Amino acid sequence: MMELEALQAVWPQLRAMGASLVAISPQLAQYGRAVRRRAKLEFDVLTDLHLRVAEAFGLAFTLPTDLKELYAAFGNTLDKFHDEPDFRLPMPARYVIAQDGRIRAADVNPDYTIRPEPQDTVAVVRELGVARSKETRS
Amino acid sequence: MTLQQRLDAFKAAFESGAPPYNAPREAIQTMHRATEDLRRSGLAERALKVGDLAPAFELTNQDGELVRSTDLLARGPLVITFFRGHW
Repeated sequence: MMELEALQAVWPQLRAMGASLVAISPQLAQYGRAVRRRAKLEFDVLTDLHLRVAEAFGLAFTLPTDLKELYAAFGNTLDKFHDEPDFRLPMPARYVIAQDGRIRAADVNPDYTIRPEPQDTVAVVRELGVARSKETRS
Repeated sequence: MTLQQRLDAFKAAFESGAPPYNAPREAIQTMHRATEDLRRSGLAERALKVGDLAPAFELTNQDGELVRSTDLLARGPLVITFFRGHW
């Protein structure tokens, strides 16, 4: 949530450079709406049902049984949120993808309390814009 | 405050066991163990990285509208953040 709010703060900058920004989680749309409302997000929150995209990026993992039980006790009923019985999650990850489809920045961390600054992402997107305008000129 | 400073502050408050989170010591240990196991599994190192081709995707947004990565990339660079959930 904190990371999403921080990304919202730079979303106008990213948008001004022609970039798109999407957040992806395995949660059903109703929870995506809740996130957007609570964090006041203006970018799309996408539903990655059954973590197919997270799997394609190599990010999906299954929670160990003790953590599953702990989350359920906290009311984090991921089976309900995800519409699947497995308590699976994507590792926190931020990617910048260039228009040719190549990944230009990747930050994956098993620890959700260690995240890159949004300004680092803005800088990568700015570099891509600079590279593109040089290409157009030459 | 940077994002990392805010995350550090949250982590310190959560792990103190004090209100508002009142996290039991045992719960914190379970979480640490799970994170450590995930780190040791090497999954993060095997995830897609810089230079790899990103897989194309088609997903629905919060309003049920279809969003295609190819449409977004036709307009400009794409930033994706994968997150756990609203909780």
